[in-house]
Amino acid sequence: MTNRALRRWFVVHKWTSLVCTLFLLIVCVTGLPLLFSEQIWDTFVGDDDPPYEVLPTGTPNASLDVIVDKARALYPGQIITSVNPDDDEPAVLVSMAPSWQALKDDENYPDRHSGHWIKFDARTAKVLEQSRPADAPKEPRTWTGIIMGICNRLHTSLFAYLPGRLFLGAMGGVFVASLISGTVLYGRFMKRLPFGSVRTDRASRLTWLDLHNLLGVATLVWATVVGFTGLVNELQTPLFGLWRVTDVRQILKPYANLPVPAQDHLSSVQAAFDTAAKAAPGNEVTGLSFPGASFGSPVHYVLWTRGATPLRARLFTPVLVDARTGELTGAYPMPWYLRFLEISRPLHFGDYGGMPLKILWALLDIVVIGVLVSGLVLWAGKRKIATDARLRALGYDLDNVDDAAVPGLTAETVR
Amino acid sequence: MNAVAPEIPIQSQPVSALRPSVVVWPWPIALGLLTIFGLLSALLGQHGVWLALSWAALSIPFIVTVICLIRAWRRPSSKGGLS
Repeated sequence: MTNRALRRWFVVHKWTSLVCTLFLLIVCVTGLPLLFSEQIWDTFVGDDDPPYEVLPTGTPNASLDVIVDKARALYPGQIITSVNPDDDEPAVLVSMAPSWQALKDDENYPDRHSGHWIKFDARTAKVLEQSRPADAPKEPRTWTGIIMGICNRLHTSLFAYLPGRLFLGAMGGVFVASLISGTVLYGRFMKRLPFGSVRTDRASRLTWLDLHNLLGVATLVWATVVGFTGLVNELQTPLFGLWRVTDVRQILKPYANLPVPAQDHLSSVQAAFDTAAKAAPGNEVTGLSFPGASFGSPVHYVLWTRGATPLRARLFTPVLVDARTGELTGAYPMPWYLRFLEISRPLHFGDYGGMPLKILWALLDIVVIGVLVSGLVLWAGKRKIATDARLRALGYDLDNVDDAAVPGLTAETVR
Repeated sequence: MNAVAPEIPIQSQPVSALRPSVVVWPWPIALGLLTIFGLLSALLGQHGVWLALSWAALSIPFIVTVICLIRAWRRPSSKGGLS
């Protein structure tokens, strides 16, 4: 490699790193508690739900129609918006609202929550728990809740919603560019050094450089994978939006202008679950939204099914069942870009291999923080050298200059 | 931010001729392959031996890093590298 090419790579590495380092530090640090959020919630907040009734194993689940009827009887005149069997507990969550219009109006009033839910025992169809009424005094927020909320919003969007997500996604892309250029530089600088050398007996600059190289190359592939999948995750809103305006719109076109039928004339919810299970073989049905939901069709139940095998567990396939007749309209596997997004999620979250994998994720994350910090130290050290050289060129004898004079000079003259 | 760019011209022929050139890539490639294997084996296998293999494979890059650091600071006069 010519020195000129090397210098170009160096400039690329320096600037891509400088652009993303601060944000990566934020993301790396806030990612640590998020990684263990389940454990943190269990430890500091706990679960005060009443225990489940002990029933003989193999007790069949109650029909979802029974549960839906009970929910309607509890809130006559209201609509049901969705029915979601729990993933790992014998419970069914039924969400309700005064009307679709009321839910839509909520968007304009951040304090208003007209939707509410009821949790049923899936086997006995007894009510287990209900959401707090909208007019009840708000539950005091716990410290855990506040801290985890801050971490989550900083990590995903820097408190800036969609623009923040897209910005962090862009930082993910810059990070990958910085990793690639860093790898090229590593190849050049490690030519005369055995792997893993950390020279501690010479200038501290060399120690930092060797540390940066060692920590960086050891976590290179992991950081690339987590950085890139983070970028893909940040694109979820536009990707889902794309799907909605293309495929989904096409599928729903024939029904778009039909009125939403009254809920007491709709076909069986349990039958819709059974139909969906047959329409997407190998998938399990995780939930149903009623006709009229903002993303769905006015006359269809939308059933969400997902792969039953671990690899496909995050690949969702929606199934449409005509709520007027109970007949299957179709199953619609998601397009490739959303499948790619769903595969990217576990690789970013590290939540697919038990506690040891999470701990490894945390350790590698800490090593990456080391890479970022050593990079910053190298850059800051270089700036000091450059500044000193320029000051000397201007005729300042740095050994004798009054300390107080230097900061002013660096700020005004040198930059 | 390997801020050593200005030193490149200095580090030209005379110095490098004295030092043996070592192969740069075997270790990084091995650690990278282990990482990829670790990431995928838990994702595709999801249970039993595949999980254990994933934990083992992903911990090796971390362990190697720690060993290098310990060696460097235990014997400050040496370069502390693995060869």
